[in-house]
Amino acid sequence: MTEPAVVQLERLTKRFQSPEGGGVLAVDDVSLELAGGSFVTLLGPSGCGKTTTLRMIAGFETPTTGRILVDAADVSRRTPDKRQMGMVFQSYALFPHLTVFENVAYGLRLRRRSGSDLRKAVERTLELVNLVGLGQRRPSELSGGQQQRVALARAMAIEPRVLLFDEPLSNLDAKLRVSLRAEIRRIQQQLGITSVYVTHDQSEAMALSDVVVVMKDGRVEQAGAPDEVYRRPTTRFVADFIGRANFIDAEVIAPGDGAADVSVLGQRMRIPAAAGLQAGSRATVVVRPESIRLGSGDLRAKVRRSIFLGPLVEYELDLGESVVLAVDPDWMGHGLHEAGEEVACALSPEQAYALPPGGSDELVPKDPEAAALAES
Amino acid sequence: MTVEPVEQVAAARRRRKATDPALMVALALSVAFVLIAIVWPIVSMVGTSLTPEAFPIFQRYLTPPQGQVLINTVIMGVLVATVGSAIGFLFAYVQVRIPLPRLLKRFMHLMALLPIVSPPFALALAAIILFGRSGFITRDLLGMDFNIYGLQGLVLVMSLSFFPVAYISLSGLMRALDPALDEAATNLGASRWRTFRTVTLPLLLPGIASGFLLLFVEALADLGNPIVLGGNFQVLASRLYLAIIGQYDVLAGAVLGILLLVPSLIVYFVHRYYAERASVVSVTGKPSGRPAELTHRPMAIILTCMAMAISLLVLLMYGTIVFGAFTNLVGVDNTLTLKNFEFVLFGYGLEAVSDTVLLAGIATPLAGLLGVVIAFLVIRGRFLGRGALDFGAMLGVAVPGTVFGIGYLLTFNTPTEIGGFTIFPKLTGGAGLLGGAVAIVLVFIVRSVPGGLRSGASALQQIDPTIEEASVSLGADQATTFRRVVLPLIRPAFLTGLIYSFARSMTAISAIIFLTTPQTRIMTQQILNETNAARFGNALAYCVILIVIVCAAIGMLYLVIGSSTRTGRAADPTEPAVSVPSS
Repeated sequence: MTEPAVVQLERLTKRFQSPEGGGVLAVDDVSLELAGGSFVTLLGPSGCGKTTTLRMIAGFETPTTGRILVDAADVSRRTPDKRQMGMVFQSYALFPHLTVFENVAYGLRLRRRSGSDLRKAVERTLELVNLVGLGQRRPSELSGGQQQRVALARAMAIEPRVLLFDEPLSNLDAKLRVSLRAEIRRIQQQLGITSVYVTHDQSEAMALSDVVVVMKDGRVEQAGAPDEVYRRPTTRFVADFIGRANFIDAEVIAPGDGAADVSVLGQRMRIPAAAGLQAGSRATVVVRPESIRLGSGDLRAKVRRSIFLGPLVEYELDLGESVVLAVDPDWMGHGLHEAGEEVACALSPEQAYALPPGGSDELVPKDPEAAALAES
Repeated sequence: MTVEPVEQVAAARRRRKATDPALMVALALSVAFVLIAIVWPIVSMVGTSLTPEAFPIFQRYLTPPQGQVLINTVIMGVLVATVGSAIGFLFAYVQVRIPLPRLLKRFMHLMALLPIVSPPFALALAAIILFGRSGFITRDLLGMDFNIYGLQGLVLVMSLSFFPVAYISLSGLMRALDPALDEAATNLGASRWRTFRTVTLPLLLPGIASGFLLLFVEALADLGNPIVLGGNFQVLASRLYLAIIGQYDVLAGAVLGILLLVPSLIVYFVHRYYAERASVVSVTGKPSGRPAELTHRPMAIILTCMAMAISLLVLLMYGTIVFGAFTNLVGVDNTLTLKNFEFVLFGYGLEAVSDTVLLAGIATPLAGLLGVVIAFLVIRGRFLGRGALDFGAMLGVAVPGTVFGIGYLLTFNTPTEIGGFTIFPKLTGGAGLLGGAVAIVLVFIVRSVPGGLRSGASALQQIDPTIEEASVSLGADQATTFRRVVLPLIRPAFLTGLIYSFARSMTAISAIIFLTTPQTRIMTQQILNETNAARFGNALAYCVILIVIVCAAIGMLYLVIGSSTRTGRAADPTEPAVSVPSS
């Protein structure tokens, strides 16, 4: 096995010409470096440019400006058939007139493999995706999950330098999605192929990736390890898109390096903070619902609503100056609270994160139609 | 998929048992129609041809020298189907896969649809004027001594007349093809040509095969072109015409009818098989995005030029038809005149125009309604012989028109009596019911029902049966549900059926040529007479009037029914008219 490929995107930009003559900026100055063997997810709402970025890597779209480097070689102008990248399509795009075996063998035959060598390679790949014995079936005779596996096997069979996934699980039901994403991760780690995965499902992104790249309006909002992006979202958009978050208004008392003293909910706390906070100015404190502990603490809250979900209970708490969402995973320990009840609660400062106020806080792109055009 | 059988069972359970009185009446009427108007005449013809007297005639047409007619027919069918499919494929490919200005695409699309609304041998007349012995292009421009009469002329004219059928079904298929399939092949390392050869083409193959076979059947059944343009090249259809019209030999006609019927039926049902397989294309996943465009510029230019050349040829031919209709004797005496139109609109021809419009106008709503009713019975009903009803009704396109002509002559030329009581009157001939008009209307309906049936059936398949169940649960009976829920939902399909019926009835010739009487003059028949008498001006004027009437009727139908269509489907009124027989 050769060393996994390092992929670099250098200031990638894609502008689509709309029929009326205007242009839509689908991807706007995106630079990324994908370490060899890493699993990178492009995550964002529809129209954020993630699919266009993936299609530029695959070669189906030509960048307006910028370069794509694989192992330092510029592939931006190479046609897709010369890029040695395996792609798994959202619609699977299995060849309906070919058997499972021939689908997987398609790319190998183009590489002049034949006879028992070809057969062995195909069988090995089918084994990897748990499809042994289905080689002679037609795609139409398979379940959705099986079709997905064939699509994966076909892309992997050519031993690609890079594996590309375009929302491959979006046509499957929830349970199958969870089991297949674990399988994709297992296979990717086993083979160590550098992979780029496009999705709008944040839990999928976190479960799969080494690096999550959150995109919005064609730009990279934040890139980092899943836990990093979850704990230290650099913008309000990222915090809101990845998981759920409370945004509590605060005043900066003393900014510091990586943390700041702020006044929040009438208390003075030292909270991990993003750069750019200034003494005396406002700040937004991001608090995950699970970071609000119930049962004890200095804060008094009134339960406005409680929703019982089984493993956890969701509360809407009125803290006086703001209303927050809290989840209680330990309800069996200290019981359920009814709406109208007064409860004591606490906010763990080390689990919160302070951001400069304002910034991007909209979840929906300004012009959904233009965004959809860019995505298609 | 493993869930499919369960869904099928559920769908089958949703079929209605035919116990509702309205459903019973509809079923009885439909079955009676299929048996009397379709099956009976075919059986009569088969019965006549299986008598001992017919045996020597079979022998004559299956051995040399007369056997040549059969061979000619097959050669012509194969050539027309090949050339027609190729042109259809070219037009579809250019339309779907090559980025071109909208106006250019629109023009080529219109040129491809023109042959559908024109009488069967309008193009043959144009070909004679342009490329005949004294043709404007062949003799006057190129100084050639070219003979258009015969196989070469037939292939040219019939390919141009029939390719729209292949074009429309193939362009639909190409649009339905998931563009990600092409991308997947390229992604795995296939070149453009390799992708086309190993992915695009194999996926379209069932569609191409189905179009090819349909063109073959059409070519076999065509009567007008071989009479006008065949020359010494005799095919079954023209031989059959001579046998009946020239020699009044009904027995030979029946035998030739059998020789025509058997291959047509076989090929038609092979076509149905392929047409059903052609839909396999969209099984996996849903198509994502627009069809992939051909980015290879030289190839795109070559294909576009070819399609444009053919479009311009069609335009030239229709231009010739219109021009010829306004001249004394086109090619010889090009003086502009209105006398041809005077003849057709105010003289002798007026009766033919009004008769044809009246009879087609009567047949159209009946055929449209019957098609939709049979579609409903076949898709939603639960009774023995559903498949047989569908099969029987579809015989209207599978069986060549001339076969119906002979069948009607053999069946309805004398009143049917049982025990001295007339249970079925004489329909054909001048002495037939209403001067033979009833027989003509019946044949119009027989030939048109399949269009409404197929478009209605595919529309019904897309409607969730629970919608009808909701209506029934709210207290509506079957008839009310059909009228208030089903019919409005499938209105676009109903409109398609009506347009198809009218266009098909107005341009019919092979089925009615033996059934017209002095009391019932039909325009296509008159065009043939005028052509045979070399009065091209009159023939062309008839053609122009006929095209105008059909287009006007389509426009009117579209205004009346289409304007209130809330779903807004069937954007192009002429488009579905031909996609129907191919499905």
